[in-house]
Amino acid sequence: MRRLLFLLKKEFRQIVRNPFMLRAIIMVPLLQMLILVPAITFGIKRLDLAVTDNDRSPASRELISKLAGSTFFKTTAAPINIAGAGALLLSGDADLVLIIPNDFSEGLAGMTKPRLQVLVDAVNSTQAMLAWSYLTSVVRDYNMDVVMATGAAPSAIPGINTSPRYWYNPTLNYKHFMLPGVLVILIIAIGLMLAGLNLVKELETGTLEQINVTPIRKWELIISKVIPFFILGLLDLALGLTVGWIAFDIPFEGSILLFFACSAIFLVAVLGMALFFSTLVSNRQQYLFVAFFFTMIFILMSGIFTPSESMPRWAQQFNWINPVAYLMRINRMVMLKGAGFSDIARDMGLLSVLAMGFISLAIRGYRKRA
Amino acid sequence: MEREKVIEVRDLVKRFGSFTANDRLTFDVYRGEIFGFLGANGAGKTTAMRILCGLSRPTSGKVTVAGIDSHRPEEIKKRIGYMSQRFSLYEDLTVNENIELYGGIYGMTMKEIRPRREELLRRLSFTGYGNTLILALPLGLRQKLAFAVALFHEPEIVFLDEPTSGVDPVTRRQFWEMIYETASRGITVFVTTHYMDEAEYCDRITIMSEGRIVALDTPSALRQQYGTASVEELFVKIARPQRINA
Repeated sequence: MRRLLFLLKKEFRQIVRNPFMLRAIIMVPLLQMLILVPAITFGIKRLDLAVTDNDRSPASRELISKLAGSTFFKTTAAPINIAGAGALLLSGDADLVLIIPNDFSEGLAGMTKPRLQVLVDAVNSTQAMLAWSYLTSVVRDYNMDVVMATGAAPSAIPGINTSPRYWYNPTLNYKHFMLPGVLVILIIAIGLMLAGLNLVKELETGTLEQINVTPIRKWELIISKVIPFFILGLLDLALGLTVGWIAFDIPFEGSILLFFACSAIFLVAVLGMALFFSTLVSNRQQYLFVAFFFTMIFILMSGIFTPSESMPRWAQQFNWINPVAYLMRINRMVMLKGAGFSDIARDMGLLSVLAMGFISLAIRGYRKRA
Repeated sequence: MEREKVIEVRDLVKRFGSFTANDRLTFDVYRGEIFGFLGANGAGKTTAMRILCGLSRPTSGKVTVAGIDSHRPEEIKKRIGYMSQRFSLYEDLTVNENIELYGGIYGMTMKEIRPRREELLRRLSFTGYGNTLILALPLGLRQKLAFAVALFHEPEIVFLDEPTSGVDPVTRRQFWEMIYETASRGITVFVTTHYMDEAEYCDRITIMSEGRIVALDTPSALRQQYGTASVEELFVKIARPQRINA
């Protein structure tokens, strides 16, 4: 135990003397919060909508002005033919093309069935589906106007009227969804990069060999690397949260204590993983490769952007050992829904098991022999 | 009087895949002696030393260091000091902090460390350097300090892996004075070196070539046996690899 205190003293002295470390600890949370939170959004605004109006009737003009009035679309006139429309999609000048056939107003008048054609750039399928649903909602509105103009009372129009209330994020603010996720990434950045590289650096410079020839115990060495970065990570989390609070006015529904408790468990898991990775490699370049590779997988599979529930079964099974997935879920539940301990107890428990697992892997994996 | 063996090596073999780094090494080292390990680059000196320090395991053979079998390396580590080829003190810590760290790792308290540290600094004429970062010390002083740190917990045996490479002649001389002083206190010094003049300072030397021991005796006995005027000449005569692998 006394030995551990000597080792901790050494680590803290080195951290305090390292100007890069201090800069990183302050700049990383600031930049991550101020850049990632507002930048990553799936909310779609001002899609480029090209309209080919072959009808040129008051009815078609009315539809176009309705679309132009929506904040979702920026309308432009498009060439008459379908090939020209295709070229617009191909060059990216338009995200979707609406073609109004020349019998559109005749159709509305009841002579034929009124039809519209929409071509959507679906390279990004999420965006395509959102664009399509925005467009159809405008058309449905327009349809309603037309029907009402015929004199029918709204109540006479059959149909179910649904009106949504968006719970936990009533204004559908994407920042509220992303911020808890970005806080998770912040912990990963500090834990995985700073702690892992620290141990590998000692391996590279040769100081670790000197340590290995002492009777030091493996757990003492590993824990002496965990504790300093654990403290740094929590400080950074507090800093990131404060920045987020001030800059984005995120509602914090749940208990801050619970939030920090879960983040602390997660941080231990990340540090265990970092130190385990560092036992597998022989230099910093290899470490960065391994750490970067696994971080990417863990983050993308965690449900930060796309709900993990809609991932294939095997992916969901993988997430059993993905610490990021647990905290991603917990953070959003606690911050946005105000979930309490009993709601997240299971995830917390499993995350603790993972944390213990990674720490023991790091201790077992560490070799005092080269 | 029977001299006390502190290192016993019998038929030590170390293989890396198909490459045999140490081929049936057998030797003893006695308490308080300066035992020199010589050999060309790649002869297997460092491999053997790392096994003796518990940093590597023998493929076969029996190794006992300070009375402890090599299968219990952590017990061996309590009783030895080691100074590696690469400089291994923490450059971003001060002289005092490095000494304190290693003292603490070997289980000493600050109370025990402080007086011994002051005495050590005085002996090295380092007084006044206590709060200097290692980074700011010239290489020679660093090496002397590294040696002193390896001895700080008073081990039975100290292993020095090419301790004087890259050091100026004056510091080298001082370094060897430290080695003598250490041996006179009954601490066994096991040293590998490239410098043949240094080999002359050893009580006994071992010459390795291609993983084998090709000579082991006092420098003067070996010179006589091979009829050479210096260890250097002797080394060139017997340690040269017999063949060059294509």
